[in-house]
Amino acid sequence: MPTVMELYQLLPKTNCKKCGESTCMAFAVALLSRKKNISECTPILEGSFKKQKEKLESLLLPTAGAEETGMIVHPELCTGCGNCVVACPVDVANDPKGAAIGCAPTNDKVIFRVVDGKVIASNIKECRRFGKNRVLCYACIDPCPTGAIEFV
Amino acid sequence: MGIDVGKFLKAPEYDIRITTYRDIFQIEALEQDRFGEEYKKLSAAVMMGKSDMDKMGFKAGDRARLTNNNGSIVVEVRATRREEPGGIVFMMNSPWSNSLVSDDTRGNGIPEFKNISCRISLTKEDITPLEKLIAF
Amino acid sequence: MVTCTGCALLCEDIDAVVENNRIKETRNACRRGAAKFRGCKNRLTPSVNKKQTDVDASIKKAAELLKTAKSPMLFGWSNSTCEAQAKGIQAAKKLNAIIDDTSSFCQGILIEKVLRKKFRTCSLEDIRNQADVLVYWGSDAQDSEPRHLSRFSYFPRGEARQRGYEEDRTAIAIDVRESNTAKICKGHFYRIPLKGDRELILALTDALSGKVPAYDTKRILELANILKKAEFGVIFAGIGLTYSIKDELDILVALTDRLSNFHILPMVGHYNMRGFNENLFKETGFVNRVRFDGKAVHDNKYAIVEALRQKAIDALLVVGSDPLSSLPRSVLPHLAAIPVICIDPCVTLTSKIATVTIPAAVSGVESGGSAVRMDGRVIELSKVVENNYLSDAEILARMMEGA
Ligand code: SF4
Ligand code: SF4
Ligand code: SF4
Ligand code: SF4
Repeated sequence: MPTVMELYQLLPKTNCKKCGESTCMAFAVALLSRKKNISECTPILEGSFKKQKEKLESLLLPTAGAEETGMIVHPELCTGCGNCVVACPVDVANDPKGAAIGCAPTNDKVIFRVVDGKVIASNIKECRRFGKNRVLCYACIDPCPTGAIEFV
Repeated sequence: MGIDVGKFLKAPEYDIRITTYRDIFQIEALEQDRFGEEYKKLSAAVMMGKSDMDKMGFKAGDRARLTNNNGSIVVEVRATRREEPGGIVFMMNSPWSNSLVSDDTRGNGIPEFKNISCRISLTKEDITPLEKLIAF
Repeated sequence: MVTCTGCALLCEDIDAVVENNRIKETRNACRRGAAKFRGCKNRLTPSVNKKQTDVDASIKKAAELLKTAKSPMLFGWSNSTCEAQAKGIQAAKKLNAIIDDTSSFCQGILIEKVLRKKFRTCSLEDIRNQADVLVYWGSDAQDSEPRHLSRFSYFPRGEARQRGYEEDRTAIAIDVRESNTAKICKGHFYRIPLKGDRELILALTDALSGKVPAYDTKRILELANILKKAEFGVIFAGIGLTYSIKDELDILVALTDRLSNFHILPMVGHYNMRGFNENLFKETGFVNRVRFDGKAVHDNKYAIVEALRQKAIDALLVVGSDPLSSLPRSVLPHLAAIPVICIDPCVTLTSKIATVTIPAAVSGVESGGSAVRMDGRVIELSKVVENNYLSDAEILARMMEGA
């Protein structure tokens, strides 16, 4: 989970108020509690802040996941080994010719994908831990060498 | 009565054996900048099991001098990520660990990169900078 | 899809998003691979005697130094394409030079045994499709070849292994340290003392021949039993194992002779180390440590560590490697005392002291070619971005033009 300070450091820090908050710090707080979206800070969408914006997105992604399902991926611990990509039963079922046999995912229906050497989780609602027939699945946690995946 | 003997004693030395390994975060740092802080932080460190640290009175974050006939370096003491039974300490393979490796290969050309005997003691000195390892 | 040269798995399924001739993002590459695509912070620039110059002048000076040397060595090669390696071998012939690569103090002795067919071996695809017992011995694949378990060995479903890793495969780690790989092998982690590989091999050989192993009887019998029952077993031999039994590799041959369903795969970090071994082997019958002198002579004294220790070389060409970083410091003073020519994409410890530096393209990113995967399969490399850097092969070709 990122801290408010970490998010704030990546913002333009001009307090221009375009996002509707009175300061960048306030916007950082709102980001963390998911009341605001990064794109509401229009200055950061401009080219010169591209790196910072990407960093912010990667910091916020895991919390976005946690919001829905309780899954948190710690990108700083992830080695991008892809064990979770291949081991997750949802990925196996949804991508039998790709993730299931160890290859790169061939479609967007998988939960785990590796981007820039770190895992990103999407389609989290498909996770077996949720929905009507939920089971306590550990298939992504057990194969992870560094404890980068967690459910809270 | 007034003499503090401890003040004149050198920090106690222990004989240890180091084995080296590779770490993906260190490899990443190496690809990016082998002169960088991140690479140094990961490389100039000795990882010790808790029992060894307790026995020698070391804490994570202390600095230690490692010395043998081949060289002498100062690195940071860190705890191993997982519980280790002790008796062996660990370093990531790097110019720091290599400065303790002997050139005696008994003719076979393969140095003992993963089996380094040396002495370890606490120190207040700074971590050996990379520049020092490549000055001849 | 492009190929990653981050390690000798040479993953061919990388999606590199290029924008304005720069790699903006990589998909499917692990952290190690992504770092390779991202590249280094400090690119090397051409120089002679620490003074900036142009590429042509630095190549010219390099040729001159090599030609005038009496006993030059051409070293590196494990991070070069097969094309560059071939050029290097030709150059060594022409110069009557010594040629050696990083396998000299790494997996060379094991790869040699594989090439001489002392061990049964197999492809990574065979492993994915067939293997049921995997032994990571002195090898932390998770950190060194990070996608090994996910792409090929443990997690994927394969033709004869359809039910997933929990049911169909058994992964065993033998190591001094509880590595990330050992963590994944959980119930099958065998911790050995430093240099304990020999004892374990002998005990297992005993157990497999019906004798009672000398120590830790219960666990060794248990392990021997798993190995015996394997339909298709693989020992992934890491440098931890190789270093430990480097003087008596035959005990490993003897062990695998007792395991008729087992294969050995030497684990290789640098992306084309096996390529160099194979290319030199084809040419000379040796995998490294060769001196050309009308014919090819192999001797341990031509190993880089020995040659430096004995001060037996008077010029050193380094291609895509950083001996100052990877060799024992005790042999480095001689290296620092002779002319060194460094061909590399990046500033390295060695380039800092080199007499001549020649910047090169990053192979697999800025130049194409081919390389040999850790299991011996030839893989094409991709050129992902365009720029003016010369490839290693081009630099070597130019260097030898006048020679
Ligand atoms: S729009 Fe962005 S830069 Fe402007 S005040 Fe809000 S957070 Fe700060
Ligand atoms: S808990 Fe199971 S289903 Fe859910 S993401 Fe992890 S592996 Fe996939
Ligand atoms: S298994 Fe863990 S380290 Fe590997 S890609 Fe998944 S989250 Fe990252
Ligand atoms: S496993 Fe090796 S080849 Fe594959 S993406 Fe990672 S570094 Fe590249």
